[in-house]
Amino acid sequence: MRKLARNRAVIVGASVLGLLVVLGIAQAVLERTADAQSKTAVQAPRFEVDPLWPKPMPNHWVLGQTIGVWVDTDDHVWIVHRSSATLADNEKGIEKKTAELCCAGAPPVLEFDQAGNLLRHWGGPGAGYEWPDGNHGIVIDYKGNVWIGGNGAPDSHILKFTKDGKFLLQIGKKGARRKAGAAAGNQEGQTAGFVGGSNDPISFGRVAKVIVDAKANEAYVADGYLNKRVAVLDADTGKMKRYWGAYGNKPDDTPLPAYNPAAKPAQQFYNPVHCADMSVDRFIYVCDRVGDRLQVFTPEGKFVKEGFFAKNTKGSGAVWDIAFSKDPQQKYIFMADGMNDIVRIVDRQSLQELTSFGDGGRQPGQFYGVHSIAIDSKGNLYTTETWEGKRLQRFLYKGMGPVTKPNQGVVWPGSTSTK
Amino acid sequence: MHVSRAARLAALFLIVALTCVARVSAHDIPRDVTVQAFAKPEDHTFRLLVRVPLKAIMDIEFPRRERDYMDLERIDQSLRDASMIWLARKIELYEEDALVPEPRILSTRVSLESDRSFDSYEHALAHVTGPSLTNDTSIFWEQGILDVLFEYPIQSDRSHFAIHMAFDRLGISVVTALRFLPPGGVVRPYELEGDAGLVPLDPRWHQAVLRFVTLGFFHILDGTDHLLFLFCLVIPFRRIWTLVPIVTAFTAAHSITLIAAAYNYAPGALWFPPLIETLIATSIVYMALENIAVVTPQRRWMITFLFGLVHGFGFSFGLQHTMQFAGSHLLTSLLSFNLGVELGQLLVLVLMVPALDILFRFVVAERMGTIILSALVAHTAWHWMIDRFGVLRQFPWPQATAADLASGIRWLMALIAVVGVAWLLSRLAARKVPNPKSQDPNPNIGI
Repeated sequence: MRKLARNRAVIVGASVLGLLVVLGIAQAVLERTADAQSKTAVQAPRFEVDPLWPKPMPNHWVLGQTIGVWVDTDDHVWIVHRSSATLADNEKGIEKKTAELCCAGAPPVLEFDQAGNLLRHWGGPGAGYEWPDGNHGIVIDYKGNVWIGGNGAPDSHILKFTKDGKFLLQIGKKGARRKAGAAAGNQEGQTAGFVGGSNDPISFGRVAKVIVDAKANEAYVADGYLNKRVAVLDADTGKMKRYWGAYGNKPDDTPLPAYNPAAKPAQQFYNPVHCADMSVDRFIYVCDRVGDRLQVFTPEGKFVKEGFFAKNTKGSGAVWDIAFSKDPQQKYIFMADGMNDIVRIVDRQSLQELTSFGDGGRQPGQFYGVHSIAIDSKGNLYTTETWEGKRLQRFLYKGMGPVTKPNQGVVWPGSTSTK
Repeated sequence: MHVSRAARLAALFLIVALTCVARVSAHDIPRDVTVQAFAKPEDHTFRLLVRVPLKAIMDIEFPRRERDYMDLERIDQSLRDASMIWLARKIELYEEDALVPEPRILSTRVSLESDRSFDSYEHALAHVTGPSLTNDTSIFWEQGILDVLFEYPIQSDRSHFAIHMAFDRLGISVVTALRFLPPGGVVRPYELEGDAGLVPLDPRWHQAVLRFVTLGFFHILDGTDHLLFLFCLVIPFRRIWTLVPIVTAFTAAHSITLIAAAYNYAPGALWFPPLIETLIATSIVYMALENIAVVTPQRRWMITFLFGLVHGFGFSFGLQHTMQFAGSHLLTSLLSFNLGVELGQLLVLVLMVPALDILFRFVVAERMGTIILSALVAHTAWHWMIDRFGVLRQFPWPQATAADLASGIRWLMALIAVVGVAWLLSRLAARKVPNPKSQDPNPNIGI
């Protein structure tokens, strides 16, 4: 009996040892495979949507078309949206007095903290400045000032405020592009009654976005929905310093034929010139939204290179807004594409698309007109949506990983693998 | 109606008072404030570099020029006043438990909020003692940053220091990121919320032990699920010698995973905490059901050991933010935390065992009492398990890569090795303690 028990113990012990050996071999093989995969596969940042951010706003406030996002030095997220002007009557029952509890447009400029709480909120017409008919794009500069453009029909100016909404500066005059005797209009992209002025040293033509270069204290203006240029201003005085068009050409407002992917690339920007952002190595990346291209310039306006994305995209185009990754070299560009409703991850040096995420729809991680994109200090992305999207979303950075698909679809929580 | 002079004066006073209130409320207490600080003892001076947003400074008037931009050429005295009132007087520095006198303000600066000089001590020091911004730079006064260099007289840079930074009134939520740089090149980062009290910088081993024993002691007393698990363990075993191996197994197991987690061997994925929370609830359900189904559970120490591994990860979640106070005594602090947990468990056992004895002697028969109590615990834990599983299932199964599988196999091997050793030990123990059933019932027969 004792011998039987001893034999059983020996068998159990040997089995355990054998199992450990087999597992050890399997582990070594898998580690080698993982090592090989990490060396050969193209790596790209990975993200997961954060479906619980931001928190609901107070006062039954809702967002209208949300057409600008930025992250400040405190990692607070700022957005600008078009509020009640873009809400249907049944979305603003409190304002229309047709409902008791729901809802009303939130003030145009909103600040959220990392927990998703709404902090400051302000915006709208006030003394000393002309609020745009179609506010567009928001940036917080290195001094903490808030810059806003506008693409309403008569908008041809830029506004600068403090973070508390105190007015600081207006550059350009509203209505400067109106043809003599033309009536006011308020449709995005409307040109009737207005004419581009891409060589105007004072005013603009429906500005999409303004960024500020801290080193030179210069503002770069994506100008815009009516003009076809990048303009550079003194960020304190607003004085125009220089400007240029596509390929560094002198801008020309002659209307271009509709975008044709098979045709030779246009030598002028299409409307809108939708972003102008500066990289850490001081190159200016310009979104020619309808032209499906991103053009790169020196700060003086010398053309460097360009990249095309989803070139068969017509209508509103494929290159809407960009944000640079947070690594010191800014190795990646994150590109919002509101027609295909994805965010592209692009290698900044080669301008090659590595992968993308997102899909059309209204669930978390999907998009309806993803319009603007920004990044915080931890590498998390923030997107806003125009048209009927009307929302702000956060995508949490989940580290680097091998690229396995051209489009990852909706990056749901937990969809990236473990550490 | 005649209005008296006194009434008019009162009305005027009211208007002035309301105007003042309106002015004050125009600068609200900021919601979130982050203070950055470097503390570096060098020879006989202790340098403290502090960076705070100007919006957090109340009741100090900063000279301004057009459009409320700061007049940087006339601002020095205001910055010194702000530094003394809002910072220096809120800081207490102790050297070997003796309060160090008030500091000198060596330098103050206004910086742009985009300035990144405080990424290192050297950059911050060079920035604060370097050239100031001039009126060529237009900064709206609430959007500037105040940088200050304080200097405290000390006996030696090798002394033990402790600091109390009562910055909680700078904002509704204040976080102080303090980096202590003692001689030798080590950097000890601290993230202090509000008024975090007296913080020993580079604590001595006995300070770390005291802090972490206390922390462990109260952590177990606060952890209802850990206490319920313990309760389930002891219901059928209320003799000290039967409890010893069970509690020891639990302690050893949770120490292993707690230490592993502290050394970053635990998965960092979002699904891991809800998985552990679900497994903890499951462990309670299992124990309670076993109490109901089995009169005298055998080898409870083994299953306790397995569940102890899970509970250890649970303990680690509560410890993550506190490890900054361990200084150079990481392992000592972890073991102290465990000791605190054990002391808490002992206290609970000391109260629980006699209470159960009394209950089973005077109120309800032992078996029936065991079933009723275990059923109540199982009911509660079942709901926890369902709720926590609900959270867990929001996370889809991760797509396992080769690296993930390799990591999983490593853990499995460790688990098998631990179980193997436990099995070996149990066999050795069984060999030393003779089995009464195998003994001859009447050894004298045949003599």
